[in-house]
Amino acid sequence: MSRVLFFIILSLPFSAQAQLTFIELEAMSISPEKLSGEFKQEKYISELAITLSSTGLFSYHRGKNIHWKTLEPIQSELIMTPNTIINRQGDNELFHMDVNAAPTIGLISELFFSIMTSDWQKLAAVFVISGENKDGVWVAELTPIDETIAQFSSRISLRGDHLLREITLYEKSGDYTAIHFDRLSQ
Amino acid sequence: MNLKIDKMKWLAHGWLLLVAVLILMAIKHGPVFDSSIMGLLPESDKEPNVQLATNQMAEGFSKRVILLLSSDNEGEVQAAVRAMAVVLEKLPDIANVEWQVQDKDIVQRQQELYPYRFSILDPAVRKQLLNNEFEQVQKRALTNLYSPLNVGRNSIIDDPFGFFSELNLNRKNDFKVQVSNSLLKVTESVRPTYMMMFTLAGKVSSPSLQNRILSKIKTEENTLNQRGITLTMSGMLLHSAAGAEQANKEITTIGLGSLLGITIMMLFVFRHFKPLLLMISAVTIGCLSALAVTTLVFERVHLITLAFGMGLVGVSIDYALHFLCQRSVSSVSVTIDKIILGLALGLFSSVMAYAAQALAPFPGLQQMAVFSVVGLCTSWLTVILCFPFWTRNYAQQTLSVAIKLDRFRQVFPRLENRPVVIGLGLLICILFSVNTLLSSNYADDVRLLQSSPESLLEQDKTVQQQIIASGSSQFLLIQADDIERCLQKEEQLSSILEQLVFDKLIGGYQSVSSFLPSLQRQNENIRLVEKLYEQQLESYYTSISLSPQNVIEAQKIMDQATMQSLSSQVWLSQEASNEGKDLIVRQVEHGAATLIRFTGTIDEEAVRTLQKLSIEDDAVVYIDRVQNISKVIGVYRSEVINLIILAYLGVILVLFSRYKMQVWRVITPPILATAFTLTAIVYLGYGINIFHLMALILVLGIGLDMGIFLHESHEAPHTWLAVSLSAYTSLLAFGLLVLSDTPVLHHFGLTVLLGLSFTWFLVPVMRRNKYGNVY
Repeated sequence: MSRVLFFIILSLPFSAQAQLTFIELEAMSISPEKLSGEFKQEKYISELAITLSSTGLFSYHRGKNIHWKTLEPIQSELIMTPNTIINRQGDNELFHMDVNAAPTIGLISELFFSIMTSDWQKLAAVFVISGENKDGVWVAELTPIDETIAQFSSRISLRGDHLLREITLYEKSGDYTAIHFDRLSQ
Repeated sequence: MNLKIDKMKWLAHGWLLLVAVLILMAIKHGPVFDSSIMGLLPESDKEPNVQLATNQMAEGFSKRVILLLSSDNEGEVQAAVRAMAVVLEKLPDIANVEWQVQDKDIVQRQQELYPYRFSILDPAVRKQLLNNEFEQVQKRALTNLYSPLNVGRNSIIDDPFGFFSELNLNRKNDFKVQVSNSLLKVTESVRPTYMMMFTLAGKVSSPSLQNRILSKIKTEENTLNQRGITLTMSGMLLHSAAGAEQANKEITTIGLGSLLGITIMMLFVFRHFKPLLLMISAVTIGCLSALAVTTLVFERVHLITLAFGMGLVGVSIDYALHFLCQRSVSSVSVTIDKIILGLALGLFSSVMAYAAQALAPFPGLQQMAVFSVVGLCTSWLTVILCFPFWTRNYAQQTLSVAIKLDRFRQVFPRLENRPVVIGLGLLICILFSVNTLLSSNYADDVRLLQSSPESLLEQDKTVQQQIIASGSSQFLLIQADDIERCLQKEEQLSSILEQLVFDKLIGGYQSVSSFLPSLQRQNENIRLVEKLYEQQLESYYTSISLSPQNVIEAQKIMDQATMQSLSSQVWLSQEASNEGKDLIVRQVEHGAATLIRFTGTIDEEAVRTLQKLSIEDDAVVYIDRVQNISKVIGVYRSEVINLIILAYLGVILVLFSRYKMQVWRVITPPILATAFTLTAIVYLGYGINIFHLMALILVLGIGLDMGIFLHESHEAPHTWLAVSLSAYTSLLAFGLLVLSDTPVLHHFGLTVLLGLSFTWFLVPVMRRNKYGNVY
């Protein structure tokens, strides 16, 4: 009995030190009102063992919209607002969706919004976090508590310093999407 | 004298035996009650499928209750929903509770429908394929593939163009709800709000069921409120329970009040209990016989018949009172002789008014006529046949109240004494009434009869605003030889309906074919997909560096999958059909029938389009339940007006043959009272409806009795007492209903109150100057 207690006491300070919390993330990183930059996306499709790479520009206005402009290999523009998703190719609107009418896509878009804009409070409601922080550079692993979210993503890994630099979204199927941000300007 | 008493005894007992046999026969037959408003329509108006569909729709709707739980704390409200679900699921009165979306359900549905991904297509995709925009479809698939949001997608080989995810993503749900932590979160709400919905296992009208469920929810609500969680509910159950509670409350307050008033007055006038008992027995025998005969003649007794039929109680009390008052001044052997002519004329006029209703081609009015005529006649016969025997030992005594009331009558101004002043006054009133009535409107809208308390209606509105629920009252019925043809018809209509949605004339609509396309449509879709593969698959795969082998593989999978379409039998056995199942009409007479249900509000212009559709196409019927019921009430109202006028013209003719030029003294008071009452109702801001008219038959009946009895007894004070008491008892029994919060009862009560008051004041004004003797 006393041995168990001893180990618990012993292990406490260590685990507390290694554990990254959303509160710490909030303190370390900034969540700018506006941000823009370049992205490189790599989508691994396990079924065919291929990786689809794309690059482009992005910008967001916190709480208002996200512009996701893919330049290579195809040209298309994705505009997300809290209520709609619009996909454009040149002047041609491929689709326009009311998020509220389609519950599943609404959930994913809300999630993407929270991650992109580093809305840690919102993420804390649906994920548990683990990870570490080394000299202001942090790596976080988010595991969904929300069952519905778990349907789409088994875990999300994030890397950043004062800004978010990398997102990797793992799916149950073994597919993953890695997004790397560069040349960020506020 | 003894011989006479024996004869009276024989008559009384013989009559009671007859009534008893009648009642026993009816009990053996077993009365069946009906409350469906459709039961009041003429036979020819009822299309069996329309009625089946209406009933199915109404039943589904009436059994549903929606709950919204909200709080500032997301976690708390989620926990509350789970706790509430456990409580509700335990109740045996609740068939099922919908409150969560389980992953296994989603997975199951997807597995069920996935094999049909090439035959059931998203409408937008189908439109592009129909327009030969194959390249666009490929571009869209490619864009989706590169989109950071595109997760949970299906295999690129099995479904290269992502048809299945397009179909699932665009599948609109009935409510503005999003899944959060497996629960149903309302999206358009400021505070975190979650929805739950349950379906009753039993009838919504059962008071014990209402009580069991609502008391449980009330207890839960109290604990929720303490934790800062508010509960908003909507459903027929609540309205039904509120209505029952209100009726109970009113029966105990208004009912007891009027009973007490009548008892005190009878004791005060007659100083004995016996007259009161006699009066009650005459009325009871009348009502029971009426119910018995109606049961024997008609298969089902409609509740409306009972509600209005009870009005005859007021008229039948007249006969008992007239006898009792006359008996107080005459010996038992001569009482009947003295009043029989007046009673006969009184009965004749009321029976005519009620019997005329039987001429209308409506089962409801016919029943009401039979019920009222039988009730009046049996009450009348009870007075004539039983009362002499029952009052054989009754001592003659002058009723002091009669003398006092007579003195009061002398204070009334008489038309004969001041023809110019009173005549002019009345003329002005009449002109004013006619002018008002000519410009007034009728109110037949059943929604005006809405009796639910404000707070409930407010809750309904809140729920309606937060989630767009579909109503049950307006829908399209599609009839054809089989389901396949119904679905094809629905698909033909969809372009019109889509246009209505686009023009924002309707919120949206739900049809079976949006879940299950017709086989014809499914085959068409497969042909389109085959064409797309032929033209685009290779270039698409090349652009993402897939091999020709992959193209062959994908082609093979599609060829195999398109071998079968989704039949209605298979669909109905699937979990996926749960949402659309209730749009198929069960138990149709022949062929098949489906429903198209609307969500949100329907614009007038949309109604016109739908009605036009219904006229032009035999397979399509537009049904508006609320409007249909309102229409029935309106038709009944106009029939009743015509028949009352016709009946009273007949009555006036008969009375004229007896009273000659004096007939105006009998008929003007009730007729003027009727006109003034209707004017007052219009002035109070109500439209005239059938409930007012039904009450007016009562007013006219009592009013004519007053004139006839007074005329026949040469204005005797005890007759004045009898007719005054009659008016007083009806005022208490029905006039007090004006205090009711239930609109139907309120309108009925208001009319009786005003009508009888006007009549009572007008009768003496029209009487001649000479008075009869007390003895």
